[in-house]
Amino acid sequence: MRGCVNPYETASARLSPLASPPTRHQLRLAAGVAALLLVALAATTPYARQPTEGTEALLPAYAAAVFVIELLTSALLMALFHVQRSRAMLLLAVGYLFSGVMVVPWVLAFPGAFDALTGGGATQSTAAIGAIRRLSFPLFVIAYAVLADRELPPAAAYRAILFSIAGVVTAVALAAWLIVAHDDVLPRLMIDARKVSGLWRFVPAAAITLYAVGLIALGLRRRSMLDIWLMVVLFTLLIELVLLSYVSAGTRLSVGWWAGRLYGLASASLVLLVLLSEATTVHARLARSVLAERRARQNRLTAMEALSASIAHEVNQPLATMVTNASAGLRWLKHEQPRIEEATAALGRIVAEGHRASKVVASIRTMFLKGAQERVPLDLNGLIEAVLAQCQDEARLGRVSVSTGLERDLPPVIGNPAQLRQVVANLVENAVDAMRGTARPRLLQVTSRRHAVSEVVVAVADSGTGLPPVDRERMFEPFFTTKPDGMGMGLMFCRAAIEAHGGRLWASDNTPHGAVFQFSLPASAAMPEATGPEAGGPVR
Amino acid sequence: MSEQESIVFVVDDDPAMGVSLESLLRSVGHSVMLFQSTRAFQQAPRPDLPACLVLDVRLPGQSGLEFQRELSRSAHPPPIVFITGHGDVPMSVAAMKAGAVDFLTKPFRDQDLLDSVHRAIEFDRARRTRAAMLAELRALAAAMTPREREILPLVAAGQMNKQIAQALQLSEVTVKVHRAQVMQKLRAHSIADLVRIADRLAAAERAGQAEDTRV
Repeated sequence: MRGCVNPYETASARLSPLASPPTRHQLRLAAGVAALLLVALAATTPYARQPTEGTEALLPAYAAAVFVIELLTSALLMALFHVQRSRAMLLLAVGYLFSGVMVVPWVLAFPGAFDALTGGGATQSTAAIGAIRRLSFPLFVIAYAVLADRELPPAAAYRAILFSIAGVVTAVALAAWLIVAHDDVLPRLMIDARKVSGLWRFVPAAAITLYAVGLIALGLRRRSMLDIWLMVVLFTLLIELVLLSYVSAGTRLSVGWWAGRLYGLASASLVLLVLLSEATTVHARLARSVLAERRARQNRLTAMEALSASIAHEVNQPLATMVTNASAGLRWLKHEQPRIEEATAALGRIVAEGHRASKVVASIRTMFLKGAQERVPLDLNGLIEAVLAQCQDEARLGRVSVSTGLERDLPPVIGNPAQLRQVVANLVENAVDAMRGTARPRLLQVTSRRHAVSEVVVAVADSGTGLPPVDRERMFEPFFTTKPDGMGMGLMFCRAAIEAHGGRLWASDNTPHGAVFQFSLPASAAMPEATGPEAGGPVR
Repeated sequence: MSEQESIVFVVDDDPAMGVSLESLLRSVGHSVMLFQSTRAFQQAPRPDLPACLVLDVRLPGQSGLEFQRELSRSAHPPPIVFITGHGDVPMSVAAMKAGAVDFLTKPFRDQDLLDSVHRAIEFDRARRTRAAMLAELRALAAAMTPREREILPLVAAGQMNKQIAQALQLSEVTVKVHRAQVMQKLRAHSIADLVRIADRLAAAERAGQAEDTRV
C-alpha cells in the first residue's frame, strides 16, 4: 500500500526523530519526568539543611559524571549539527561543551576536593566558576531557541565544529586561570568554604530568571522533540538551583545540596539517553531502509530476468515455427515429384508466423521502448470506450454482453496512453476468455469511479469461472497461466505498468460468479479543462 | 522411409508449431497424429504401431517432464523426443535420465529432429519385436507341465539323463520322455537350441518379475 505522504517532505524528519515535532507520547514522558522532579523536591525539602561530613570525596566522582555526560551530549549534538548544519544546534552543542569543560576547574578549585593538588585556600574561585557555568548555560539555550534555523554550507559545518571546540577549550582555560589567579579580587560570594555570602543571592536570582526566559522561549517554539527535552533540562536546573540556594539555604554539601546535584545529574543522563536511543532508532531505520532498498532491487532484477526470458520465449516461438515450416517446405520441394501444394502451405504458415513475431516485437515496444516514459493527461473513460470498441468483435464472438458504468467528470490521470490501453485491453481479453466455457449469461462490466478524491479506480468484472482458489498472487507472476495458449505475461505486464504509474492492481471475487480486476491510478491535479486536446488522445 | 509402418505422435500446445512439425514429418513419409494437450493424447485411440512421441516441454497444466514420468508408469510407453523453447541443462539431464531419446531446443535443425524420431521409432520397433518374441516364448513355456519345467534347467545346464533321474528320483526312461516333450513343446531342434531358449526364458521371467515389482 502506498501512503500519500511525500517521502521528500519528511526525509529530514525521518533522518532524525529529534528534529521532528514532538509526539504525544514524548510530551507525556517529559511531563512525567518534570512531575517526578517536583515530587523529589518535595520529598527532599524536610532534610535539605542537614549538613553532611566528609562528602568532599564524592565531588570528583560527581564532577567526572557531569563532565562525561555533558561532553557526550555535546558530541551527539555536534553530530546532529553536522547533518543538519543548523547554527542554533551548534550553539546548543557549544553550550553543553562549555558547561562540561567548566566542571574541570570548578571541581579542581572546590575547597577540600583537590587541596593537595591546588594548595587550597581559594574560597571564591569555585563560586565564581559555578556562577559563570550556571548563568552561561541558559544563555546558550535561549540563543538556541531564539536563533532561526539557518543552514550553513556543508564545508563550513566541519570547520565550525573545530573552531567551536578550540574556542570553548581556550575560553574555559583562560577564564579558569584568570579566576584562580585573582581569587582575592573576586567578589565575595562565599563567607567560608561552605557558606555563601549575601552577594550570592543575586546569582540564583539571575539564573532562575534566565531559566524562566529559556523555558518560555522554548515553550513558545516547541518545534521539535529536542526542544521539549531541553525544557525538561531547564526545569531540572531550576529545581536543582532551588534546592541548592534556597531550600538548603546555600549550604554546600548539605543533603539538599547533594540532592539538587543528583537530580541534575539524573536528568542530564536522561537527555543523553534520549539522544542515544534516538541515534539508535535512526540507525535501525537506516539499516531497515537499506535492506528494503536492496530487496526491492533484487525483486526488480528477478522480474527483469523473468521478463527477458519470457520475451525471448515469445519471439523464439514463432521463429522456431518458421524454421520448421521452411525445412518442411524444402523437403516437400525436394521430392522426386515436388509437392507444390504442401510447400505453398508451409510458405503461407511462414508468412503468418512472421506477422506473429512482428506483433510480439511491437507489443514489447509498447511495453518498454519508445515513449514508455512519455506521460500525458488522459481521459480514462475515453480510453476504456476506445478499447471496448476495439474488442467488440471478440466480445461478439464470445457471445459476451458488454456494459459500462463510467463516472462522469472523472479527473484525468497522467499516464502513457499505449501502456494503459494495453492494460485495459488485457483485462478485457482475460474477462472474455474467462467466460468462454460458461453456460451462464456472459456479462462483462467495465466501470470507472473516483475514489477518495485523489484516485481513480477502474474495475473490469466478468461472470466467468472466477479466480483460482490458491493462486491469487501467483496470477501476477510471469509464466503463470491457466489458458491453453497463454504465455502468462498479461497480468504481470498489467501490474508492472500500473505500478509504474503509481497505482495498484488487484483481483477479487465477483458476486455471484466470476472475478473483478481493479486498478487504481492517482488522479491528476490538473482539471479536465486544462488538459488540452491530448486528453482524448486514445479515442479514435 | 516408412518401409514398415510406424506413427509419430506430436503434442504441442502451440497449433502453428504443431502443424509445422506435422508437415515436416509427413514430408519424409511419417504418419503423424497431432495433439494439443497431453490429455487429448491420452484420450485418443492410438494405432498399435512402432511409435515416437514428440513432446513440448512447456505445456499448460501438466508439463512435458511430468507427463513423461506419468507415461513411464504405463505399459510400453512410446520413446519420447523432447522439444523446448528454452531448454536448460538440468531440465535436459532430467529428461534424458528418465529415458528420453533426445532433447532439442527450438529452433532445431530439421535433420536432428528427423534423426531422433527415426532412432526413437527403431528403438520402439526393436522393443516390440523383443516383446513379441518373449510373448511367444512364454506361450510355449506355458504349455509345459510342472515336471517338465523342473527338468528344463537341468537339461540346459548340461546334465546327463542319469544325473537328472537321480536328482529328481525318477527313472531314466521317464526323464527321457519328459525331455523329448520339452524339446517338442519349445520347438527346439537340438540341445544347443534348447539351451538358448531356456536362457531367454529365464531372462524373460526375470524381466517379468522386475516389471511386476515396478507396477
